Amino acid sequence: MPRELAVFGILIPTLLPIFLASLLLQGALDWVLGHAGLYRRAWHPALVRLCLLVCIFSALTLVLYS
Amino acid sequence: MTPDPAPYTHQHSKAWLAGAAGLVRGWTGTEGERWIFVAKTLLAAFTALWLAFRLGLDSPNTAMTTTFILALPSSGMVLEKAFYRLLGTLVGCGSALLLTALFPQQAPLLFLGLALWIAACTCGAAMYRNQQSYSFVLAGYTAAMIAIPALDHPAGAFALAVTRVVEVSLGVICATVVHDALFPRHQSAQVMRTVQARYLRFLAFCREVLEHKAPPAETELAHLRFAADIAALESGRAAAFFEAAHARAHTRQLHAFNSAFMAALTTFYTLHRLAHRLRQDPASPVPALIEPPLARLAAALAQGEALQGAALAGLQTELATAIAAARAQACVSVRVDADDGKPASPHRIDFETAIELLERFARQFGDFAASYHGLAQRKRTQASEPQSYTPKTPPAIVLASGFRAATALLTVAGVWYWMAWPYAVNAVLMTSIFCALASSSPRPTAMIKQVMTGFLIAWPLSFFTEYFLVMPASGYPMLVLAAAPLFAAGAYLTTDPKRAGVGIGMTLFSAQVIAPLNLAHYDVAAFLNTTLAMPLGVALAWAIFAVVLPEHTMGQKDHVAAALWREALAASTAPQHAWRPWSALRHRFDNRVRDLLSQLNAASGPAPGEDARAVVRQGLTLLELGHSVLELRALIAESGRSEARRALQDCVSALAAYFRSPTRERCGTAVGAVLRAGAAVRAALPETAAPERAARLRTALTDLHSIYTCLLDQLLTSTSASPGARHAS
Repeated sequence: MPRELAVFGILIPTLLPIFLASLLLQGALDWVLGHAGLYRRAWHPALVRLCLLVCIFSALTLVLYS
Repeated sequence: MTPDPAPYTHQHSKAWLAGAAGLVRGWTGTEGERWIFVAKTLLAAFTALWLAFRLGLDSPNTAMTTTFILALPSSGMVLEKAFYRLLGTLVGCGSALLLTALFPQQAPLLFLGLALWIAACTCGAAMYRNQQSYSFVLAGYTAAMIAIPALDHPAGAFALAVTRVVEVSLGVICATVVHDALFPRHQSAQVMRTVQARYLRFLAFCREVLEHKAPPAETELAHLRFAADIAALESGRAAAFFEAAHARAHTRQLHAFNSAFMAALTTFYTLHRLAHRLRQDPASPVPALIEPPLARLAAALAQGEALQGAALAGLQTELATAIAAARAQACVSVRVDADDGKPASPHRIDFETAIELLERFARQFGDFAASYHGLAQRKRTQASEPQSYTPKTPPAIVLASGFRAATALLTVAGVWYWMAWPYAVNAVLMTSIFCALASSSPRPTAMIKQVMTGFLIAWPLSFFTEYFLVMPASGYPMLVLAAAPLFAAGAYLTTDPKRAGVGIGMTLFSAQVIAPLNLAHYDVAAFLNTTLAMPLGVALAWAIFAVVLPEHTMGQKDHVAAALWREALAASTAPQHAWRPWSALRHRFDNRVRDLLSQLNAASGPAPGEDARAVVRQGLTLLELGHSVLELRALIAESGRSEARRALQDCVSALAAYFRSPTRERCGTAVGAVLRAGAAVRAALPETAAPERAARLRTALTDLHSIYTCLLDQLLTSTSASPGARHAS
């Protein structure tokens, strides 16, 4: 994978689209987990959500950069 | 005998400990929370700044400013604003690129296009509430922020747009992570507290009114406050939606809670008005007849939280027996059941209307209490047809705010061209930002004044910070130490609701001008020019609000009054389709009227004047009329061709004509039509065999009666103050 993507002559780090994709994925997962009621069992729901986002983002990055 | 010292000191130290613990608890409850907020704000700001430096972004202060803008008390609010800020920025950047591509290096055309875009966005901002409105504002001024600096070199517009998006996103990420993960204050908990307080307040209010303890003026104010509460709960719900702990089913339940509340409140108002009217007539036996069921209801409401489940069912049966007893007594005293073909006595109609309303209220209150307990106990209740809150802004105000924003941009752009002062671009941006932001505030000039005060306080302080603290600082930690006091002072001020505007002004100003770029670059002349242009821009925004259409602001009472009449007209003429059932029409009407009232409440402050109260009275009467008309229309739509149907239709169109232009003659015509319809329905009643249909007709009679009494009241009040004149304004 290239480190940077050229869009109309502007270099954009590839991490940016990956981050957007992980936001979307996390949104979908969030919806499912919210309906399943997982967050109500967590001590710190916001932290759980943040960690999920970090996991998804890191996983995507690892897959693409390794 | 000397007391034993040991237990004394022991007790003393215990008391001291308890006192200290109380002090600490009090501190964490009030001041501590504010300082935690300040710490979180600073952490988010400096993290964003550091990351921006580390990533080598072009203007790190945008990222930092974003974190200050997103510094809000609860994590739900931060997430909501962050989402809408990102959305607005993306749309604004897109439109800026489009405008630059359409009019490259053609300043007049570009400014015209920009003015139109900003006007459209500001109109949108006035039509929506909460952070959705902020999203529109942002889409407008982001376009200005990118298109204006790129005026002379359009090729740079794309780079500017990308930088803006990247930096706003960086700020958004830092702010949301910090505010959501560290010591979060949950919006959903706040919403639950609001719900509980509202429920208990409604019970107390009903009890006071039923026990005749509340004077009429007080009840108007209470209705105004309730309208504001409904809007506030809706905005709290919208923010809580973004929180992880917020169960998705809650959204539906909260919608159901709000609409059940509105229905119960409207019926209660009608019932209260009827009872009040009846008591004015000393000859009427009806008040004495309906007193026992009302007292029973009041006694049941005194139970507060305990009124649920079995107690609630008990209330319904008790009320039913009380009503039956009242009916039996009424048979004797007013001969209410004498269907002997004679014209019905007015007392009999009064009595039946009161009982019908009481039953309706008991039913709706039952729904409301059930939805409250479902929420409080986190039960998953099946809320039927959840309908969201629909806001409504008078169109004149929407158009005026758009016009004002466009005028502001064109004026300040003209000044910029004429003065040929390059730094005036800052003034252009500030004017368009504050014109758009303040247009959704009920007192725009007061808001701009506060921000201006913040700017003026921050001006010397940021000069000092920039040139005596930041410049000698070496390394990032020193920079943080140098800049932190000023930012902390601003952030602390934003936690005080009365001075929030000053705090926002201070943080915005200092975050904009204390901007250590990647290539440190200190230029006193540029600093002075920029800092002069920013307050000038804000002052110009203030002048625009003071001069251009100063009466067309959110919640201005004449506009609200006219909009209330239009809503009533819409209720009597709006077409009904399969996709928009009667319940949806009713819900929309209810929402919009309450939204208008809550705007009025926001604009008139804690102590509304006599004029504002008159508008509230008018609004409540129209609410009552509109609901009755909607019910009549539902009945008309269901019934086949008959004399009664034609009479009802005439009645509805006479009422629509009255709503269109509220004059005395039309009111008189409407009263005549209502009386004719009443006679026709009463004539149709004995011929109706189906019990369900008969019940519908009886409900229609009740509605006709409440319309009739409302119209009579209108005739009385319109002699003193002509509503026609107000409507024409």
